[in-house]
Amino acid sequence: MGWLLVFLAAVSEIIGVVGLKMYSTQKKNAVNTLLFVGGFGCAFALLYASFQFLQLSIAYAVWIGMGTAGGVLVNMIFFGESRNMGRIISVVIIVAGVTGLKAVSV
Amino acid sequence: MNKSWVYVGLTCLFELFWVYGFNVASSWWHWVIIVGIILVDFHFLSKACEKLPTGTVYAVFAAVGTAGTALMDVVLFAADFHLQKGLFIVLIIIGVVSLKLADNQDEGEVG
Repeated sequence: MGWLLVFLAAVSEIIGVVGLKMYSTQKKNAVNTLLFVGGFGCAFALLYASFQFLQLSIAYAVWIGMGTAGGVLVNMIFFGESRNMGRIISVVIIVAGVTGLKAVSV
Repeated sequence: MNKSWVYVGLTCLFELFWVYGFNVASSWWHWVIIVGIILVDFHFLSKACEKLPTGTVYAVFAAVGTAGTALMDVVLFAADFHLQKGLFIVLIIIGVVSLKLADNQDEGEVG
């Protein structure tokens, strides 16, 4: 149950990032605002719910790793953002850093 | 380009304000202020994404939030600091700097 909530929280976060992209570069309409604010809102609610089942630092580490990597990948795949090797390596370093830091923080 | 990075800086700063709020909030009107800060933060986040790649902005936002929260816990809320934390924070900083360099290089190639 805990892991399902973390997974859904990461998916919501990626939806929020898609909303962020569309809200800031396309139209500031109701749908994009809802994806942006609603996506991040649901992400936090689901993550918070997962703390009932999992240790906070572990749940947070997995969520932020999946969400950050997913957010960048979605923008590369669906919105044509640059896929140069430097960007990909940098994002891998950031994901390793944020996940590791959350994992060792109690 | 530079103006957009000012928005990145602002969104990261306001993110740390609301994380601080989460730590100290004790009555309902504190939460009203926190929600206000989050909305301002999201406004800056979207402004930053108008001119910069969203993937870059979001990765930096997550990176600064995580490293900043860890440091805030140590400095303001008496959490333990140990070598592993320091190493991961250094790793995050390396990632952010190299991401910014990679984007600059990309811009140079395109135009």
